[in-house]
Amino acid sequence: MGSVKVNNLIKSFGDFTALKNIDLDIKEGEFFALLGPSGCGKTTMMRCIAGFEKPTSGKIFIGDQEVEDVPANKRNTGMVFQSYALFPHMNVFENVAYSLNIKQLNKSNPFKQASIYARLLNKRLGKTPKDIETKVMEILKYVELDQHAHRLTSELSGGQQQRVALARALVMEPAVLLMDEPLSNLDQKLRHSMRNTIRRIQQELGITTIFVTHDQEEAMSMADRVAVMDAGNIIQIGTPTDLYSNPATPFIANFVGTSNILKGTVVGEENGLYHVEGEGFSLKSTKKSTKKEVDVIIRPEHVQVVASDSIIDTADTNVIQGTVLMSTYLGSIVRYDVQVGVYQLVIDTTYSSGESIYEAGKEVKLTVAHERVLLI
Amino acid sequence: MKKMKNAFSGLTLIKWLIIAFFALFMILPLISVFLVSFTGEPINLLGSLVDPAIFSSTVEKFQNASLDNYKQIFSNSGYADALKNSLFLAFTVTILVILICIPLAYGIARTKMPFKKTISALCTVPLIVPTFISAYAFIIMFGRAGWVTQIYNFLGGEGMLIDPYSMVGIVMVQVFFFFPYALWPLVAAFKISDVSLEEASQNLGAKSWFTFIFVTFPLAIPGVISSALLIFTVSFSDFGTPIILAPQNLNLLVVEAYREIAGFFNWGGAAILTVVMVIVAGFFFWLQHLFTKGKNYGSVSGKPKQQKLVEHKGLNTVLSIYSFIIVLVPLFAMLSVALQSVATTWGRSLLPNGYTLDHYKTIFNGSLGNITNSLVLATGALVLSVIIATFVSYFVVRQNSSSLDFMTSIPLVVPGIAFGIALIQTFNAAPLQLTGTAVLLIIAYTIRRLPYMVRSTMGSMRAIKQDIEEAAVNLGATPLTAAITIIGPLLLPGIAAGSVLVFITVIKEASVSILLAPPEWAPMSLAIFQNILRGEFYTAAAMSIVMIVIVLVLQYVAGLFTRKQQL
Ligand SMILES: Nc1ncnc2c1ncn2[C@@H]1O[C@H](COP(=O)(O)OP(=O)(O)O)[C@@H](O)[C@H]1O
Ligand SMILES: [Mg+2]
Repeated sequence: MGSVKVNNLIKSFGDFTALKNIDLDIKEGEFFALLGPSGCGKTTMMRCIAGFEKPTSGKIFIGDQEVEDVPANKRNTGMVFQSYALFPHMNVFENVAYSLNIKQLNKSNPFKQASIYARLLNKRLGKTPKDIETKVMEILKYVELDQHAHRLTSELSGGQQQRVALARALVMEPAVLLMDEPLSNLDQKLRHSMRNTIRRIQQELGITTIFVTHDQEEAMSMADRVAVMDAGNIIQIGTPTDLYSNPATPFIANFVGTSNILKGTVVGEENGLYHVEGEGFSLKSTKKSTKKEVDVIIRPEHVQVVASDSIIDTADTNVIQGTVLMSTYLGSIVRYDVQVGVYQLVIDTTYSSGESIYEAGKEVKLTVAHERVLLI
Repeated sequence: MKKMKNAFSGLTLIKWLIIAFFALFMILPLISVFLVSFTGEPINLLGSLVDPAIFSSTVEKFQNASLDNYKQIFSNSGYADALKNSLFLAFTVTILVILICIPLAYGIARTKMPFKKTISALCTVPLIVPTFISAYAFIIMFGRAGWVTQIYNFLGGEGMLIDPYSMVGIVMVQVFFFFPYALWPLVAAFKISDVSLEEASQNLGAKSWFTFIFVTFPLAIPGVISSALLIFTVSFSDFGTPIILAPQNLNLLVVEAYREIAGFFNWGGAAILTVVMVIVAGFFFWLQHLFTKGKNYGSVSGKPKQQKLVEHKGLNTVLSIYSFIIVLVPLFAMLSVALQSVATTWGRSLLPNGYTLDHYKTIFNGSLGNITNSLVLATGALVLSVIIATFVSYFVVRQNSSSLDFMTSIPLVVPGIAFGIALIQTFNAAPLQLTGTAVLLIIAYTIRRLPYMVRSTMGSMRAIKQDIEEAAVNLGATPLTAAITIIGPLLLPGIAAGSVLVFITVIKEASVSILLAPPEWAPMSLAIFQNILRGEFYTAAAMSIVMIVIVLVLQYVAGLFTRKQQL
C-alpha cells in the first residue's frame, strides 16, 4: 500500500500540453477521484502514474519512491482499464493468475522460467502451483466469480468482465489501484451496484485508489476526496461535501451538481452579512467575499417555494419574488422553474403527498437561508 | 548509465538484431552488386572491414572502376537485346492478360453465367503450379511430339501449332499461368464500380454494350491499371518459364544473368544485368504502389450495394464457354504432366503408350532426399520468417518503425534471380563464406518470402488493442515477456496463415534454388529443373506431381485453419 504524490507535473504531446503543472497528494488508503469533462487529461494523468507516459517534467512518488526511472512493469500499480483489456485467449482463472505467474517468473532461474513460459502459453504444458491457485480462487470468490473461473472472458457479462479486471489488478496487491472510467461501459443499473461493490472492496482492503470519471455523481458518491480537472489543470481538491458547499469556481459549482448562478455586485457589509444586488434581485449572504463583482450560487435544493401571501421571518432568510414557469413532478421531489428578474432559477423541493403544487403562472415567494447563498 | 541499460532492453536488442540481419543479407548484397557493376570484379566489402590486404585490393578495384558495363547496355549488344526482349515480353503478356481477363472478370463479377463456381475454382489452378513446371507442361502439349501437335497435324496442320521454345511459347505460358493475379483485382473492381451510374445510363435508354464500354469499364479502369502493372512486374521477374523455354538465340535479362553467373562467372556482366532488373522491377512496383495508394476499392462508398446480376442467356452462355477455354488450358497442362508421370513412353500420339508407376518408384528410391531437402529448407525458412515477421510487425504497428516496414517491402521488388546473384557474389569469400551452404539458401528464401509473412502477421497485430499489452506490463511483465505470452498467442492465426504461404512458396521457388542450392541440399525444384535439362522428362513429371500434391495438401490444411478461426 502506498501514498501517491505528484509534484509540478507537466505532460506535453508535441505542442499540446495535456497536463499543466499538476500537484496531488493522495494519502495511503484513500479513495481519490479525478473528475473532469472528457479530454481534460484524466487518462493522461493516470498513464503517467502507471508509467505508460513519460512526464515532460515534474515528479511522481509512489510510497516514498520517486518513480521516474521505474519502468511500468515494476511500479506495482494495479490498473483497471476502461475497456477492461482482459486477455482474450485466457480464461478467467488464467487472467487473474497472470501477475502471480509473472512474479514467479521474475525470480526463477532460466530453467524454471522456461517451464513457466510453457504453462503460460498452454495450460496443458504445466500445472499452476498450489499457492497461486489458492490465491486466485480466494480473490475470485471475493468478487463472486469463483463459479466462472474456467469460462472464457468473452462468455461473461459486462459486469462480470469488470470484476475479472478488478480481481486481476487486486491479486497482485498493488501499492495503488488505478481505475480509468471503469463503469462507463456498464448499463445504468449495473453501474449503481458496481459502485457499491468497488467502494466496499476498497474499504475492506484499505487500498489506495485513484478513480477516474467524468460522472460527478460517481465521484461524489464514492470518493473520500475529489480533484476536479479542466483543460489540463486541477481546479479544486476537496471532500465531496467541500466541493458541493464551497465550490471554488462557477465551473465546479456547475460540474458538481446543478446550480443557479447569478451575476451580482457586493454593495455593502453589515454584521457579517454581505449584501449583493443584481438584475431583479437583492440578497444577503454570510459568505465572505473579497471581490466586488461576484457569481452568486444557489443550489436548487436550498430554496423553498411558499405562497406569495406567506409571512416569513427574515432574520436569517432571504425572500425573493418570482413567477412559476413550469413545475415538474419527479416522485419524491418537485422541480420548479421560476422567473426571478432576468434569471430562471431551478428549484427542487421535497414533496410529500397531499401538498399542493404551484402551477405555471403562479406568483410565489422563494426563501433561501443567508448561509446558503454562495459568493465566488 | 540507467539510460544505456534501457536502450538495450530485450526488445530493443531484438530490433537491432533484425535490422542487422537485413543490413547484412539484403542491403549489403544489393550495394555490393551495384558496386560490382562498376568494378567488373567481385568485391568483398565485409572482408575489407577485417583484413587490410582485402581492403587494399578493394580500393584498387575501385580505382579501376568504369562505366564500360553501362555503355554496353546502351549500345547494341546482347545486354541491350536482353533488356528490350524482357520489356517486350512483359508488355505483351500484360496486354494479353488484361484483354483475356476483362470478359472473365465481368462474367464472374456481374453475370449469372452457368458454372460460375467451377470456373472460379479452376482459376486457382495456375497459382498452385510453379512456372518452370507450367513451361515444361507446355512442352508436353505443344512440343514436336506433343499431343496438341498431333491433333493439329491430324487436322491437316504442318509442323507445330506453337513452338514452345520461342517468345510465343513463353508468352503463352505466362499468360495462362499469371492471369489469376490480375483476375481477382479486376473482379473486385467490377463489383464495386458504381451500379447506380450504370442504371442511370440504362434508364436513359442506352444499350447494354454501350453502358459497358462507356460506363462500367471506365469505372473499373483504376483496377485494370494496377493489375496491369502487377502483371508486368511478375512477368518481368519470372525466371521459371524463360529458363526452360528460351532458345539460345533469345536473350532475356533473367536468362542472360543466370548464364553469365552460372556459365561464365562473369561477375561484372551479371551485376549490371541485376542492377537493370532491380531498377525496372522497382520502377513498375513503385508505379503500382503510387496507383493503389489511398485507394481502398472495397470501401469507396461504404457498404457495397446489392447488385443486379446480368441474366441475359445468350451473353452468359458465350461468357461461360469462353471462360472454360481459358481455365482449361492450365488444367490440361497439369493433366498432361500427370499423364506423363505414369506413362511408360509417350510421344507422337494422343495418349501414352502404356502406364506404369515406375517413375514414382524411381523418385522414392533415388530422389527422396530432394523431397526431404525441400521440406527441411522450407521449415527452416518458415521458422526464421515466423520469428522475424512477428517482431517486425510488432515494431511496425506498435512503435511505428517505418524503417523496418520499408526494409521488409524491398524483397517484393527484387527479382529472385537478381537477389540470388547479389547473395552469391557477396558471400563468396571469407570472413562470411556462405555461398554453397544451406544457411544462405534458407536466408535467401526467408528474405524473399518475408513480405507475405509480415503482411499476414501485421494484420493480426493491428487487431490486438494496445491496452491488452499494457495490461500485461501493468501486471508486472516486461515488454518482452508480454510479447511472448500475450501478443504471440493472439497473433497465432496470422502466423499460421502466413506460415503456410511461406512454406508453399519456398517449395515452389525456382530462381533462388537453382542459383544457390548446393548439390547435397538440392530441393525438389532444382531436381526437376535438372531432370528437364537432362531430358529425364518422366521422373521430372513424377517429381512435379509430388510437389503439386504437397502444395495442395498444405493449402487444404491452411483452409481448415482459417475456417476454424472464423467460427
Ligand atoms: N498520445 C497522445 N498524443 C497526442 N495527444 C494526446 C495523446 N494522448 C492524449 N492526448 C490529448 O490529451 C488530451 C487529454 O487526453 P486524455 O487524458 O485521454 O483525456 P480524458 O481521459 O480526460 O478524457 C486530449 O486532448 C487528447 O487529445
Ligand atoms: Mg480518458
